[in-house]
Amino acid sequence: MTTVHHGAPPDLSGRNLSLRRAAANRAATVGIGLCVLVAAFPLILVAYQVVVRGGSALSLGFLVEEIPRNYRTAGGGMGPAIVGTLLITGMAALIAIPVGVLGAVYLNEYGKSGPLARFIRTMADVMTGVPSIVMGLFIYVVYVVVIEERTGFGGALALACLMLPIVIRSTEEMLRLVPDELRQASAALGARKWRTTLSVVLPTASSGITSGALLAVARAAGETAPIIVTVGLTYLYRPDLFAGQNTTLAAQIYRNATQPFEASQERAWGAALALIAIVFLFTIVARVIASRFAVDRR
Amino acid sequence: MKLNRRAIFGTVTAGALALSLAACGGDDGGDSVPEINGTGASFPDAFYAAAIEGYAEANPDAIVTYDAVGSGTGKSDFGEGLNDFAGTDSLVGEGDGPEEGSYQYLPTVAAPITVSYNLPEVEALQLSQETLAQIFQGDITSWDDEAIAADNPDAELPAVEITVAHRSDGSGTTSNFSKFLDEATESWTLGAGDTVEWPSNSVGGDGNTGVAQTIQDTEGAIGYVDLADATASGLVFASIENADGNFTQPTLEGTTAGLEGAVVNDDLSYNPLDAAGPEAYPITAPTYLLIRTEYEDAAVGQAVKDFVEYLLTDGQELAADNHFAPLPEGLRQQAMDALNETIAD
Repeated sequence: MTTVHHGAPPDLSGRNLSLRRAAANRAATVGIGLCVLVAAFPLILVAYQVVVRGGSALSLGFLVEEIPRNYRTAGGGMGPAIVGTLLITGMAALIAIPVGVLGAVYLNEYGKSGPLARFIRTMADVMTGVPSIVMGLFIYVVYVVVIEERTGFGGALALACLMLPIVIRSTEEMLRLVPDELRQASAALGARKWRTTLSVVLPTASSGITSGALLAVARAAGETAPIIVTVGLTYLYRPDLFAGQNTTLAAQIYRNATQPFEASQERAWGAALALIAIVFLFTIVARVIASRFAVDRR
Repeated sequence: MKLNRRAIFGTVTAGALALSLAACGGDDGGDSVPEINGTGASFPDAFYAAAIEGYAEANPDAIVTYDAVGSGTGKSDFGEGLNDFAGTDSLVGEGDGPEEGSYQYLPTVAAPITVSYNLPEVEALQLSQETLAQIFQGDITSWDDEAIAADNPDAELPAVEITVAHRSDGSGTTSNFSKFLDEATESWTLGAGDTVEWPSNSVGGDGNTGVAQTIQDTEGAIGYVDLADATASGLVFASIENADGNFTQPTLEGTTAGLEGAVVNDDLSYNPLDAAGPEAYPITAPTYLLIRTEYEDAAVGQAVKDFVEYLLTDGQELAADNHFAPLPEGLRQQAMDALNETIAD
């Protein structure tokens, strides 16, 4: 540990850089800035377009009224679709998040690199790439056709299938970040493995797990194809997920946007804005929860 | 910190519980009229949507939904028991889903299929049946082709490449359009069906509105779109040569004229394509409802009957507003008789 610098501390401000290095530095900074702009540009355009066109449709009435039966009828609202979106994605989250988190606990704490764990890990990776319509058709075959009815619960099952691999993989990554010293310390204090997992590992990783899970929820809320196959259509409030057809905002956007009538297209823009607002809320809640749960590292 | 975390855990759990409770709390409501769900053809969707609205205004207790998922899905849903009635533009074939004897066709409305085009300088376009076939199978690739010029002696046709717009999804509109070309022309070689092997210079669109969008956006495009969507999209229609050799525009009068000239089969299916009559528009699409010959729940059967009866009576008056042609009186009466016979009171 002999020190290398004698006398004055080194100058790190960059003022004494050679001209070539200063130019390279400037060029790289400008290049990165431009890339950020290019990446943000479509996002800003989409947000601007949806807010401007959806904003004129959005009102309190739009959020609570029933969906008009006729595309050409102006007015009405998206109330049933908003409730349907919340219930169906909520139910999907109830199914997928506990299963996904427990699955990840198995993979990281028990299975580790055993053959079964490796197989499940590979399958989860493959499943994240499966198009959402495939999940919809799978639930159509094993659930919708069997009970002979399209219901909200069928949609929740399809969305849960979509969310599951995302939750498993993101949770496992978070668990992997928990330092082994914590597990060893817990074991040294005499805690059994389940105790260590429950009161040391999971709380330490909880902020990451929460934000991963809520991102999966936000993604599922915007799914259209599996919903159309499994959920059907309703114009009325349908709080019962197990009987009767249902609807979601994404399905209503598709249904109304594909019609040539102005009234229905306006409804579609309004529904798009409502959906983005809901997903935005989800994300903010995720951020807040994640920061609240963060373990103070000292 | 620890307490705080627990509080949040509690809130999240409570929220999840509330969600699941809300999900489990059913609404029995005690309606005497059961809800009926229909799925199927997107072609008559605008008319059915208007009729469902009209029916709901007249009968506030009745709940009818119609989900325009396409004729093919409508028929397979019917076979799986997922709907109470199906809408279809094409007849039931083998392997479509519904078992023979389990369904009854009921014609509801009909509508012309327009041949819409995008040539800003050409205000009126006439197409003979043979020219139409050659355009859509890619034999004619430019608008200034001799065959088109021969149909339009007065028009100035630009040297613009033709882009054929067609449905990318399986569709009753495609079925009727290709069936017309297959039956009426000699040069058509692509066959008929819900999907057709289109030439390589063609562009697929999802649904009638997708095709309408493609035509709107592409100069030199031509495609087949139902009248309601084409009118709403502000497209321009070509006049098509009919069986009598007259060039006719797709109008509701021309369609009804075509329906009167059509032969109706015993099962109430009929073929209005290329029907005789000086005024008849030759490319007319019929559309049917499939109703079950036996409903497990008699109340559901009665609800279906009430709704279809409305479609065939007061509902017919909503057809023209939505660019659909009502059934001619004779066919309408036949459909009513079949309905009363299939579902007894």
